[in-house]
Amino acid sequence: MSRPTEIADVRRGRLALRSGVLIYAAVLVVLPLGALVQHGLVDGLAGLWRAATAPVAAQAILLTLWTATLMAVVNAFMGTLTAWALVRYEFTGRGLLSALVDLPFAIPTLVTGVMLVILLGPQSPLGGWLTALGVPVIFAPLAIVVALLFITVPFVVRAVEPVLLEQDPAEEEAARTLGAGTWTVFWRVLLPPLLPAILSGTIRSFARALGELGSVIVVSGNIPYRTLTAPIHIFGEIESGQPGGAAAVSVVLLALALLLAFAARGIERISGVHHA
Amino acid sequence: MKPPRLFAAVPPLVLCCAVLVAGCGEETHTDPTPSGPVRTLTLGAYTTPREAYGKAIIPAFQRHWREQTGEEVRFEESYLGSGAQARAIVGGFEADVAALSLEADVETIAKAGLIQRDWRAGPHQGMVTRSIVVIAVRAGNPKGIRDWEDLGKSGLEVLTPNVRTSGGAMWNVCALYGAALRGGTSASKGDSASAETLLGAVLKNVRIMDKGARESIVNFEKGVGDAAITYENEVLVGRQSGQTYEYQVPRATILIENPVAVVDANAEKHGNRDLADAFVAFLATPEAQRAFTTYGLRPVDETVATEVQDQFPAVQDLFTIRDLGGWPEAIRTLFAPDGVYERVMASLRAVP
Repeated sequence: MSRPTEIADVRRGRLALRSGVLIYAAVLVVLPLGALVQHGLVDGLAGLWRAATAPVAAQAILLTLWTATLMAVVNAFMGTLTAWALVRYEFTGRGLLSALVDLPFAIPTLVTGVMLVILLGPQSPLGGWLTALGVPVIFAPLAIVVALLFITVPFVVRAVEPVLLEQDPAEEEAARTLGAGTWTVFWRVLLPPLLPAILSGTIRSFARALGELGSVIVVSGNIPYRTLTAPIHIFGEIESGQPGGAAAVSVVLLALALLLAFAARGIERISGVHHA
Repeated sequence: MKPPRLFAAVPPLVLCCAVLVAGCGEETHTDPTPSGPVRTLTLGAYTTPREAYGKAIIPAFQRHWREQTGEEVRFEESYLGSGAQARAIVGGFEADVAALSLEADVETIAKAGLIQRDWRAGPHQGMVTRSIVVIAVRAGNPKGIRDWEDLGKSGLEVLTPNVRTSGGAMWNVCALYGAALRGGTSASKGDSASAETLLGAVLKNVRIMDKGARESIVNFEKGVGDAAITYENEVLVGRQSGQTYEYQVPRATILIENPVAVVDANAEKHGNRDLADAFVAFLATPEAQRAFTTYGLRPVDETVATEVQDQFPAVQDLFTIRDLGGWPEAIRTLFAPDGVYERVMASLRAVP
């Protein structure tokens, strides 16, 4: 076989691969999304707006946003710390901790909800104690945050870990040699390269939390205006035969998720970080 | 039933496996029974009567059909929430027979054109079982809850599912609101404003609205809440499995009637019309009716009802959904976006 045909073969192969992947993504992702958006627009933009801003729906979206935000803040902090501990320290149980970090992705989220109710329900010692303290966790908004925290553990940890691994200890040593204190080293040398990874991991966990149903529906209490999140509202609309209302709120969540996905991509591109 | 929550996720999994196994086993299992042909009937049901069908009624029908025709019947059973089951059937799940908790769900299937005959033509207007809405309370009734208005007392915690996801929750609201409208509570008869106030007072005490009636009673079994609005049969089945809670029958409450219908289009397609009709007819026989009662459901058959009257307390003022104008009317006035329920929930939004 002569060289030019070989090159042509390789080109054809690449082209086939690329178009194959694009078609796959289109069929798997774009088609369902398109169907949803079209469904949400059956009553036009005004209808979508009405359904998404109905008091129950708006309150549900708001609750979803603030619980996810609270979760994201805690996650950014604790996730970074966890990654730090995993990379920087040798300690017994490190392998176990690393495995534990991935566990939440492997557990069905419904089971997560069940576990939390068993652990924090009014019949459990811990739940009883919390109630006695006047901080009921389960069947209250706090339960939503706890469930979201559990299911999103891996995001920040796994985003920050590779960046920490790549960090050159020489930079830190140089800073110290030049007389920088611990805090200065942290703020000026260690943190800046981590920030993009922390941000993108946090954004991804936030986006994931927006859509969480399985665990939240078990632990939140599902009271309209109080503990009913947007995904549960969507579920209710579908169950009660109102696909239009469901699609409207879905479109809002979808738009948010898209925005966040682009934001995470943007941050990664600017900083050259690649998500694991 | 002891550690129920943990296993809430198990039945769907088991069902999937069972379906897979049943599907795989089909070819191998038809051969060793040369006595007669094997036919398959698919039952799409709601979750409540699962035990009654699986443990008692289906085996009895299989015997009955074998004696009559020599044919073996293999059942494929699917159990889901009533609304979800109806949607599954409309969406293409080829059940020959639909056993659901609400008339409205059978209507959903009929409207999709899958039920062509008048499914209410049977001896009990297409209904096979009954139950009533009751108030489950803790053993010994420590909070002294006797009737609907007691559920509105401040400081109580009441369970009832979410009306958007649970047909059972709709029955509960209809029972409470209807009882108040009929003068079955302290509200005077026909006083819709007082009825709405009572509904508000009770809903204010609800901290958890589970997605289904089953989940709600499971939470109650786990120790959540002082009282749960639920079906009588849920309480009776729970007590059979060792639960200690009791129930109070309100002075006025609603009669729940559960329909069964042959899904004509599917039965026709599978050549199962005769078999499906026979199965539905079998459900009205005293044998099947008695089996339902052992799982806490009230029978539609009069003779059996007299036999078991000691098991099921009488209700002073038992009304039906027709007294609220029928389901379409009840849904319009109670559950529509501008209906009573939404209004009451909106008025409670300030409550922390």
